[in-house]
Amino acid sequence: MDEIKKGDLFSIAGLENVKISIGEIVEEEGGKDWEPMGPHPMPRIATLRDWDFKLLNRYKPFYAPLCDMCCLCTYGKCDLTGNKKGACGIRMDAQHGRIVLLACLVGCSAHCGHGRHLLHDMIKKFGRDVPIDFGPEVDVEAPLTRLICGIKPRTIGDFEQVFDYIEEQLVQLADALHTGQEGSYMDFESKALHMGMLDSLSKEAADIIQIACYGMPTSHEGGGPNVPLVDVGIGTIDTDKPVVLVIGHNVPPAADIGDYLTDNDLEDNVELAGICCTSIDTTRVYKKAKIASALGRQLRVIRAGIADVVVIDEQCIRADIVELCQRTHSPVIATNDKAMHGLVDRTDDDPDAIVADLVNERVPGVIILDPEQVGEVAVKTALQMDKKRRKLRFILSDDEFKQYVNECTQCGNCTLACPNGMRIGEAMASAASGDIKPLADMFDLCVGCGRCEQVCKKQMPIVDVITKAAYPQLREEKGRMRIGRGPIWDSEIREVGAPIVLGTIPGVIAPIGCGNYPQGTKDAWLIVKEFAERNYIVTLTGCMAIDAALWKDEDGKTLYEQHHGRFDGGGVLNIGSCVSNAHIHDAAIKIASIFAGRKLRGNYEEIADYILSRVGACGVAWGAMSQKAASIATGFNRLGIPAVVGPHSTKYRRAFLGRADVQDDWKIIDASDGSELYFEPGPQHLLVACETVEEALPMIAKLCFRPSDTDRGRSIKLTHYIDLSQKYLNTYPTDWHLFVRSATDLPIAKKTELLKILEDKHEWKIDWKTKRILEGPIRGYDPSFNPTNLKRLVRERK
Amino acid sequence: MGAEIPFDVANIPGPETGEVVAPKVIGSYISSAKRPLLVVGSEILRDEFFVELAIELGKKGIPIAATGHSIKGFVEKGYCENVQYYNLHDLTNCLRDPNWAGLDGKGNYDFVIFFGITYYYASQMLSCIKNFATDPLVRAVSIDRYYHPNARMGFANITPRQEEEYKAMLNRVVGSIKRR
Ligand code: SF4
Ligand code: SF4
Ligand code: SF4
Repeated sequence: MDEIKKGDLFSIAGLENVKISIGEIVEEEGGKDWEPMGPHPMPRIATLRDWDFKLLNRYKPFYAPLCDMCCLCTYGKCDLTGNKKGACGIRMDAQHGRIVLLACLVGCSAHCGHGRHLLHDMIKKFGRDVPIDFGPEVDVEAPLTRLICGIKPRTIGDFEQVFDYIEEQLVQLADALHTGQEGSYMDFESKALHMGMLDSLSKEAADIIQIACYGMPTSHEGGGPNVPLVDVGIGTIDTDKPVVLVIGHNVPPAADIGDYLTDNDLEDNVELAGICCTSIDTTRVYKKAKIASALGRQLRVIRAGIADVVVIDEQCIRADIVELCQRTHSPVIATNDKAMHGLVDRTDDDPDAIVADLVNERVPGVIILDPEQVGEVAVKTALQMDKKRRKLRFILSDDEFKQYVNECTQCGNCTLACPNGMRIGEAMASAASGDIKPLADMFDLCVGCGRCEQVCKKQMPIVDVITKAAYPQLREEKGRMRIGRGPIWDSEIREVGAPIVLGTIPGVIAPIGCGNYPQGTKDAWLIVKEFAERNYIVTLTGCMAIDAALWKDEDGKTLYEQHHGRFDGGGVLNIGSCVSNAHIHDAAIKIASIFAGRKLRGNYEEIADYILSRVGACGVAWGAMSQKAASIATGFNRLGIPAVVGPHSTKYRRAFLGRADVQDDWKIIDASDGSELYFEPGPQHLLVACETVEEALPMIAKLCFRPSDTDRGRSIKLTHYIDLSQKYLNTYPTDWHLFVRSATDLPIAKKTELLKILEDKHEWKIDWKTKRILEGPIRGYDPSFNPTNLKRLVRERK
Repeated sequence: MGAEIPFDVANIPGPETGEVVAPKVIGSYISSAKRPLLVVGSEILRDEFFVELAIELGKKGIPIAATGHSIKGFVEKGYCENVQYYNLHDLTNCLRDPNWAGLDGKGNYDFVIFFGITYYYASQMLSCIKNFATDPLVRAVSIDRYYHPNARMGFANITPRQEEEYKAMLNRVVGSIKRR
């Protein structure tokens, strides 16, 4: 075989013996010295700054201020319009880096606070020594903890030092927000990336603790791909029974309710349903639990009066929950000191006395801070309230509906208040003249905020009017999803490591996060469907996992029923709640460690570099809403995983955008000989918004390109990128040629057509006899290319 | 004319907010541009009229960046001359860089016209242009049915009942553009 020189263009024909060095599979060692300590255990703010700056120089922070002022200190308010300086000397760009850091702080605090709280409760209940044992298929149990902290947790008590580390760093980062500290937007962003990393670590710790303590699915029997299906949707809740509705993100109180039902043989008599992540986690511990909805339907589920008692824990709970629940006579039990809603603390009071107060509506709700005391009160209250509430009606009557739609003056106030700008007046008018479809169609488009009702001069209960119009479809909102499976197995990683790194499984797509969609939940379903059918691996968590389960094919099957649940091509996996999305980070890390043999311990930078260059993964937070979503995405980004977000996410004010046209931004090192070369922009962005799902689909496919793709993998990725563009944009992508290194990169079915375009439109030189590319690409394809962004990883030339 | 409220009522950015003007004022403002760019979004697909109007602007020599999935509308009409798909985030990022080569390789634009882009996404990108595309200055206007405080000029909010009036306004904008 001829020697292949760097940058040479050549065809793969005849090179079947080329050995591609992507590392060998390594077995985990036991014992104390399980791995030599890497360079960066428990990194501090400045430790990984060089890595951050590598990312930030390629994917420059982009700012779109939501507000042109700073209102944080008494020097101000300051007008920063036009990147002016404020009185303290900070410029608009740094101020926005600061706001982003603040958002990530809030988000990371939510995950870290939740994790610490959980750990505290679990140690109290089970002791420090609950072992971390994920079964025979999971040896690398806590990849982020090993990677960032350099420790291998054996019991839940080992996570105390993890939270000590996170909390210390959180305070340092919060300090940087103070007036008169950081002044550089680049450093604010480096700190935000650090915060994002801490966020991912917090999530991993929280999920591992709850898995260990509650026996949630792992690789023990019935776990992994074989986890059972659960009912999802408002229509699946049996309102003939008393209903306990849990809302939030912290499972212990809900778990206690499940235990109480089991212990008292009430499983078939009482419905336990939930909203958001607590509901996902409840189904991981209590088999009969149901998922009423994701975040976007919270207001409507409560208004529909389904709940005989509402139990809230933390995060993603409406701030007006008590007021809302009073309207439907649903008593509230708050179980967490972070969300007490002005109620009276009754922890340790006699349960029957609390129940009596709630049932007689002497108080709208109570606080019970010990999760183990919630079950009895919640269930007894639900049983009694069910009887009391039976005669109540919550959905509008036909007459009320008619009256309201006729009263609407089409003033347009609601439209100006609606985050999605919905033209409600128009739909009201059409309903008044007999066609309720436009109003009914708004049910799914509405993100359920209730802002419209605040401004309606006719004091119209607009949300209820829409719900009434959509009532028949709401009753049919019945989906199925697999319960959260938690960790990806090491054995699965061994199977798919090579196809992912080589590109023959074109990517791992991770739809995650909240329900602030521009066009309703169906887009969540479409994203999953397109990629699963194209043999990508689709791993979902949180609200997107729930929303994607609401839609069915012609045979009445949801995506979870149509597709397998393995971490393998074509799989549709519900990983679990928001904290479970650490396992998606973990899967990427394990590809680097288990499959490619990279050392994990204290070695964040090297692993992130590996993922950025080789693992074709892309997060999709199509309805990202909260500050947690900001810190989650930022955590993905620091680890080298890009994310596509919906248009509402431009209100996060910051993106990380690469410039395909700036050649110098796309330089990478070949670790096998230290040479530097220009490469194609893969992935082009780290964080980018799309306006519509039609635009997002090809963008997600594009962000799965990696410099290490083999020609076969690249041709598969190009096939999907081009195909999705043609399907949803009616055209070829404008930049597909940037990703072509040799003719073997081209999709076989279109090879001739594409070569012709390269010749005609891009003036590349083609040898038509051999169908080879002679001149044109950014670089040639070299199967032994070993990309890295870190000089220290350059091996000596053999 | 009294002060207009943003289409998304709380979207008040700060001291500098855009002017509400008549169509022909926008037309002549566009005429003053050296290198204008029309940026269209997916909402133009809601009625053929808007795609055709964009094409008319294209035919006046104003290049078109088709963002979202709006490119579909042009392809369906067989108009591929002067139009290119671009992601709006990516495009705005380029617009703030004086060294960007533009769609035609001849350099950045001094003037952008936003048309038919989802309101809140457009608003954020207009905010970026206002705050960061300042040296040299990129001027941005909107010809949407929304009041956009982050654009230098635009229309007041237009209700669905005024749709025909809006179309007439757009025709007046096109009619009053004079380009060499
Ligand atoms: S922190 Fe700085 S920019 Fe903000 S109000 Fe105070 S002086 Fe002004
Ligand atoms: S605010 Fe009320 S009256 Fe006005 S259009 Fe909306 S629903 Fe009708
Ligand atoms: S509740 Fe629905 S319709 Fe009302 S403002 Fe919010 S999103 Fe719009």
